[in-house]
Amino acid sequence: MALDRITGEHSVAFVRSEQLFDWARRNSLWYLAFGIACCAIEGLMSASGPRFDFDRMGVFFRASPRQADVMIVAGTVNHKMAETVLRLYEQMPEPKWVVAMGACASTGGPFRSYPNVVLGVDKIVPVDVYIPGCPPRPESVQYGFIQLQEKIKRQAEERNAARRDRDR
Amino acid sequence: MSELHDTSYEPGLLAEGTFDPGERPAGIKRIPRGVEHLATEHLVVNVGPQHPSTHGVLRLVLELDGETIVNAEIVIGYLHRGIEKLGEHRRYHQLGTLMDRGDYMSGIHGELAAAMAVEQLMETEVPAKAQWLRTLMSEINRIASHMVWFGTFGLDCGAMGQFLYAMRDREALIDVLEAVTGQRMMFNYVRPGGVLADLTPEMESAIRTFLRTIDGYLDEHDALLGGNEILQMRVKGIGTLDRETAVAFGLTGANLRGSGVGYDVRRDRPYAAYPELEFDVPVGSTGDAWDRYTVRMGEMRQAVRMIRQCIDGIPEGDIMAKVPKVLRPPAGESYACVESSRGELGVHLVSDGSDMPYRFRYRPPSLYSLQALEEILPGRMFADAIMLIGSIDIVLGEIDR
Amino acid sequence: MLPDATAIDKALAAIGSAEVATTTLGLEVRVEADELVAALEALKSGEHDFPMLVDLFGIDTGEAVDIVYHVRSLSRDEDVYVKCALSYEGELTSVWNLYPAALLPERETAELFGLTLAGHPNPKRLLTTDGIEPLLLKSVPIRTVEEVRDR
Repeated sequence: MALDRITGEHSVAFVRSEQLFDWARRNSLWYLAFGIACCAIEGLMSASGPRFDFDRMGVFFRASPRQADVMIVAGTVNHKMAETVLRLYEQMPEPKWVVAMGACASTGGPFRSYPNVVLGVDKIVPVDVYIPGCPPRPESVQYGFIQLQEKIKRQAEERNAARRDRDR
Repeated sequence: MSELHDTSYEPGLLAEGTFDPGERPAGIKRIPRGVEHLATEHLVVNVGPQHPSTHGVLRLVLELDGETIVNAEIVIGYLHRGIEKLGEHRRYHQLGTLMDRGDYMSGIHGELAAAMAVEQLMETEVPAKAQWLRTLMSEINRIASHMVWFGTFGLDCGAMGQFLYAMRDREALIDVLEAVTGQRMMFNYVRPGGVLADLTPEMESAIRTFLRTIDGYLDEHDALLGGNEILQMRVKGIGTLDRETAVAFGLTGANLRGSGVGYDVRRDRPYAAYPELEFDVPVGSTGDAWDRYTVRMGEMRQAVRMIRQCIDGIPEGDIMAKVPKVLRPPAGESYACVESSRGELGVHLVSDGSDMPYRFRYRPPSLYSLQALEEILPGRMFADAIMLIGSIDIVLGEIDR
Repeated sequence: MLPDATAIDKALAAIGSAEVATTTLGLEVRVEADELVAALEALKSGEHDFPMLVDLFGIDTGEAVDIVYHVRSLSRDEDVYVKCALSYEGELTSVWNLYPAALLPERETAELFGLTLAGHPNPKRLLTTDGIEPLLLKSVPIRTVEEVRDR
């Protein structure tokens, strides 16, 4: 509808299909319902609750990794869990992003000195956005998602610019 | 399998002697005698650790015959992060931060247990006002925790709407907790010797505002989920834990009281300001999932009753006893338990006289509740498994520690 | 809360190694490992019914692993702590047929203290994966600051 305001009603817009998909991807980031620890209460449950309501931004949970775009790693990853995290990441279709939520997923957090804990989920899967906090407030998670949207936008622009240079 | 696909019919396989199919009528190519050799195979289904209804990273391995569960095994350890080991490398007043992350739904109760265990060793006298504030915060936290249980229990049974209502009320409670303690989840509010902060008049009025609406909300919740006939049919008479089983598995809290054993740490081993409060302990009769539901709903109402008494009855005085900056309790052992939202949460401390505990043991109520699941699952349908996980209300943070 | 020490002493008369003492913790009974099951049986059955196992855990004392059985009588609301010392890499005898509540805590204790589990119906590892040391032993260190910093 925003497009209507710019181009007038009943207008037709021409875009590259790739640009359209990038726009759609950015605004429908479905995350995998995969809570590990305390952060899950803030980042997944409060987030889908009525006050924070991430659905407004098109961020909604999916129960299956095969339908998800984003994996929020919400909690401490230990050696037993690491295998599952990697497997879930591999099951997600491309393009996919990972958000490391909280201190534990970023570096190991308060449990970093325990030998069974993995020092940050970036040892297992590539991470796009780190959200600090123990646990981060839902607002922080929301800001993290905005940063992820910005990143996707930037990546798309860079790709298009590279193509323009090549075509020239 | 080969028997199922065997298409050669031998007359001898028919019920011997009782029925002779004889000649086929003209135009009929087969004898309509049904499918023979209908054998079922047991199927092993893995649920979790990533599953939207296992409340975290619980993994269940279920052996199914059709849709009926024959055998179940619990696999845990996906969140084992060494709370007990790290407790041996933390100072005594830092234990609260670890306890918060154990049972992360009811942090105040964990902190309270750790603080009480330290106080028991130090023989510290806690000021009366601090005791009342501890009680008040415990009960607010209990409702907040039960709200999450209420919301997710509905989700597990296939209802969605009440989750949104429960989260709405939880946010109101979390606002109060945040105003007092400064954090939404990891409060670190209860310290050995007292509490961190006092109530300001604004916080008190925020609690009173909440108290004005909560009764109506609780009735609404109960009508929305418990008043629903579909839910009642799904939970009544299912997952029955009788008295003996419940005691044998070491169940505590609402799960034990649902089975008809009226044991409540708040009443039977009073701590904080509970001896001065009036409250009832809701007790179930048969121990099925419905009893556990009604006991928890009753507990929320009792918690509201206690919050009312607390907010009116807080005495004047200090909120912190005189305790040294570095706590060095004398050598010895202590065990302190509180009634958390999930049952008896205990902390067993072994001190050797230094500034760090020699051994720090967290008695997780959920671990003991979880064991009963292996007992009640066989014989039930697969969909009941999800509902029963919800009905015993577990938190994986304290199961794996 | 605190049971009568003489009554517990009398109930455990048949257990030769049982020593009853009242400490800061409460009533502690120390028994030898080979008489542990008999001691718990004597406490559970009979007039001193202690039907509930509240907790089961280990303590690494430096010389041995102390296993603590915290049992409770619900009718009288009394607690007894039964302790028995096991040597390192010793054998933990399961008491699951007396107290089914011991099923998971026993597996956890055996794993985190490096003990073998005898008489348990499912003596698998519970919390960690293969190859991880018994983490609750005092001889197993936690990560140093340097290790964490240079992650």
